[in-house]
Amino acid sequence: MTKQPEANTDSSVQHDSGAERWLFSEAKKHRVLLLTIIGLASGVGLFALLQAHFLAAACQRVVIQGEGVAAITPLAVILFLLAAGRSLFTYVMEKKSAAAAARVKQAVRSKLYRKIQNLGPAGLAGYETGALIETVTKGVDELEPYFTRFLPQLALAAILPLMFLIIIVPTEWRSSLVLVLSAPFIPLFMILIGRGSESVHRRLWSRLSRMAGHLLDLVQGLPDLIIFGAARKEAAVLAQVSDEYRSATMSVLRVAFLSAFALEFFATVGTAVVAVIIGFRLLWGVLTLQEGLFVLLMAPEFYLPLRNLGLSYHARMQGITAAERIAPLLAKPISAGFTGTLPAPKGPPGVIFEGVYFSYGGTRGGVSGVNLTLQPGSITALVGGSGAGKTTLARLLVGLTRPEAGRILINGQDLTTFAPDSWHARLAWVPQAPFFTSGTVRENLLLGRPNADEQQINAALEAAAADQFIAHLPHGLDTVLGDRGAGLSGGELKRLALARAYICHATLVVLDEPTAGLDPENERLVCESLERLAQGRTVLVISHREQTLSHVEAVAEMIDGRIERVTSPANYLTSREATS
Amino acid sequence: MNWIIRFLKISRSQWPWMAAGIALGVVVIAANVVLMAVSGWFIASMAVSGASGVAFNYFYPSACIRFLAIARTVGRYGERLVTHEATFRILSELRVWLFKRFIPLAPACLERYAGGDVAGRLRADVDALETLYLKILAPLAVGAMSIMAALVFLLWISPSSALVMLLFLLLAGVGLPLLVRRFSEQPGRKSAQLSAELRTKVTEGLQGIEELILLGAVERQATLVDTLSVELIGEQEHLGRINGFSLGGMALCAGSGVAAVLVTVTMQITSHQLAPPTLVMLLLFCAATFEAAAQLPSALSFLPAARESAARIFELADAPVPVPDNNVGSDIPTKTEICFKNVSACYLPGEPVLQNISLTIPAGGSVVLSGHSGIGKSLLVEILLRFRDYEGSVTVGGIEIRDLPKETLMTMIAAVPQHPHLFNSTIRDNILMGTESVNEVLLQQALGDSGLDMWVAELPLGLETAVGINGSAVSGGEARRIALARALYKNAPILLLDEPTEGLDGVTERTVVSRLNKRLRADGGTTMLVVSHRPACRALGDSVIYLENISID
Repeated sequence: MTKQPEANTDSSVQHDSGAERWLFSEAKKHRVLLLTIIGLASGVGLFALLQAHFLAAACQRVVIQGEGVAAITPLAVILFLLAAGRSLFTYVMEKKSAAAAARVKQAVRSKLYRKIQNLGPAGLAGYETGALIETVTKGVDELEPYFTRFLPQLALAAILPLMFLIIIVPTEWRSSLVLVLSAPFIPLFMILIGRGSESVHRRLWSRLSRMAGHLLDLVQGLPDLIIFGAARKEAAVLAQVSDEYRSATMSVLRVAFLSAFALEFFATVGTAVVAVIIGFRLLWGVLTLQEGLFVLLMAPEFYLPLRNLGLSYHARMQGITAAERIAPLLAKPISAGFTGTLPAPKGPPGVIFEGVYFSYGGTRGGVSGVNLTLQPGSITALVGGSGAGKTTLARLLVGLTRPEAGRILINGQDLTTFAPDSWHARLAWVPQAPFFTSGTVRENLLLGRPNADEQQINAALEAAAADQFIAHLPHGLDTVLGDRGAGLSGGELKRLALARAYICHATLVVLDEPTAGLDPENERLVCESLERLAQGRTVLVISHREQTLSHVEAVAEMIDGRIERVTSPANYLTSREATS
Repeated sequence: MNWIIRFLKISRSQWPWMAAGIALGVVVIAANVVLMAVSGWFIASMAVSGASGVAFNYFYPSACIRFLAIARTVGRYGERLVTHEATFRILSELRVWLFKRFIPLAPACLERYAGGDVAGRLRADVDALETLYLKILAPLAVGAMSIMAALVFLLWISPSSALVMLLFLLLAGVGLPLLVRRFSEQPGRKSAQLSAELRTKVTEGLQGIEELILLGAVERQATLVDTLSVELIGEQEHLGRINGFSLGGMALCAGSGVAAVLVTVTMQITSHQLAPPTLVMLLLFCAATFEAAAQLPSALSFLPAARESAARIFELADAPVPVPDNNVGSDIPTKTEICFKNVSACYLPGEPVLQNISLTIPAGGSVVLSGHSGIGKSLLVEILLRFRDYEGSVTVGGIEIRDLPKETLMTMIAAVPQHPHLFNSTIRDNILMGTESVNEVLLQQALGDSGLDMWVAELPLGLETAVGINGSAVSGGEARRIALARALYKNAPILLLDEPTEGLDGVTERTVVSRLNKRLRADGGTTMLVVSHRPACRALGDSVIYLENISID
């Protein structure tokens, strides 16, 4: 039997015991359903036993007692009814399994998604978004076989062989001995080979997914391969890599399949030995055909749960691999975050950064000792080289990260004293690549304020110079956007994001490179819209574009995480001309 | 069916492995069925012999039982090895085939795969095709052939029970799978669709998490995810129930089939057509035959999805070549003057982008093209790269480029395309692009002139730093500069740059532009076309040309 980690007091704790413990604790929440499944599966085993019994009885009557159709017709009817019963139990068992899997998956996914959301970007440092998405979608689905295949099989492997043995022993203890002696080899071999193949399995799958990634990488980069005359060469490399993968994998599989081989070997040879023993016992006349045939029919049934357990090993591995990714996320503590309770100020706020420090644990892109004042209702540009800490400073201001040292004062009050929801409601943030859902333009526009009316929408679109291009869309505001805003140009998306910022009741607006990647015409439109947006609001805009700078009141230049100087746009531009 | 034949044709050279795998599969099932039958006949005969005292030669049957038991286990091991070997060989064959088909289609081939998660879908589709043999073809062939053989054997011993078995096997092996397929079609399609929707919503929720927090829309997104998840799991549960129906149906067919055979054979025994021990043999034989049929429904259930995947892949691979290649060699241009004469071109038929454009870049000269986005600047670059076809005339060194083999043309051109791709490898690999002999001097120059030298020097692993999948481990500006270094390292006489400074901050941009200028002035022989709307890039050209909008709607 596979060791149950719960009872695992071994000091050399297995690598995956934490994941498996979590799986067991999840299973406990659905104990009744799982017990029902095990009960139903035992019922299926009982039907198999009865089928063997009546089939053996029928053979006894026909072969030994020479009886005819009339005598065995009732037995045939019973056999048919038993088949129907077994079929029904099988169906109900699968149905309950599906229900159990559904409950586990739904509970875990809901919990996991909310947990990831609550952890937020700060709590998820070190995780790749792609991997997290994979975990929430496919990872949760992969838990299913563990609960519906592996766990019931584990229980059945413990129950059914014992039950069958108890029934066989009184009739044929010699055959039972063969079964008892051969049976332990099966789990033994499974554990012996399974230990080794577990890591092998992991390696195999990760290599397979790397291979798949390799092909995609090449296809996506085909234009570049063609430009650099490397396409044909890569086709040869692809063949070579695939072949190397094949020979490496096959040498592993030759060993890995040995576990299945051992399993089958003991089960088949055990059955064959039982057949031979029974044959001679029959020849000597110490056993009736009915008894002998019954034992022979039960021999494969005896091994079946053990073999199924062996086959469900893959299901277990899948579940554990998924759990290894899910459990640590669920167990992660949520950092305190903002615990303030004060309502955020109503009017455009004045902002003071006081010796603010923040590093990502690295040296690049952090801020170290920023002092900066934004007057209420002012519009300030933040400039500096890449990695100077501009975006970090913006993120600190909107409250996505907290300063490691120093304070940010809003109208003289520490930012941390405000209730997060109240503060967020006063904010509009337009990052470098604004976020768009694959819904309609309207849905995207109203993300921050679902109940805005037509008048407010139109005003916002006009202010952001977005009304014209939206009017030209095939379905206007109800045009469906593709993935990440596909269907609109970069400039149009920027203006849509600005319109979204207008619609919020924001008094503080933070924009990160609103005109990057835009052509001059679009840049002009966005800049004009920026000026309208600035009225009655405090604005911080990250940009090094000349056109944008001509619309601001002050320029703060950052170098290596510090504010180097704050000056007028005209001053900044002349000095920049001079240095270049 | 056509798609299966097509698949078989592509994997033609692996037929021996595929056939061997199927043959071994049949051997395993035959060994098992015969083992059960012989065991049944053996013990029945022994019982009859024990009861009647008539001698029975038990030596052969018991030896036979031992032999079959070993044949079955060893055969199973061999079958697994051979089918997997075949699968990996097919995989290799298929990937190379697919990749070679894609080469003339680039870059349009993936554009046709419209919408959503292109990479994920292509990957899943290729996966489905790769496991077609292992998961579908081999089990179906093995199952069908074993059942056929079993029926022939039965027909020889007991025609009436062969008829009975035919009926029940048809029910179990054909009727049941068809029914299951019909039931699962709708929930299957729906769950695939819901699962894609769920992925989109989760992706949006996690990628846009910061903005959702600030917009106060986090809880709404979570509810959306929950709703979709409930719907999806509902469909999955439905599919699970259908699976239960399939398994239950199989148990019913097998159980009642054996009961029917019991009655049929007993009738033959009473009429002395068959010897009594044959009953036990036939019963066990039939029961084991149903086990062979049991693998059919699951193999068939994979079929519709595999067919859809194959259809998508083949459609992709069969797309008409957008820009036909001329393989007949012509003169290789010795000069590098580029001349567009009355050129018209488009991305999609019927939506002209460039109309009657004429433009000449003298050999060794450089031109910067500027203008609105969407006006067709990048299209000019793509025409020169032979990614798009054109009307009119485009010549390099006086030779029409559509008369040149693409590979020859490419030896003359280095380029940073609109969306350069970084391969999941090191910075060095991405710059060298598979060049065999490395010219370190050229490499250092390329690094310097693309403004990468300082950044690379600061990296702990230097040039050996991995750039991640799609360049995810480097910033957009860094990716651009790596692509620029790659183009400079190629050191070709013609250089095409599409927004080479996109994503760079002002200081870096000016550095890159001045270093590029210095490099080009120094060698003097490079002909260059730069597409950019950034003012700083204008310094790269001898002349700057603004493209004006032609079509007004």
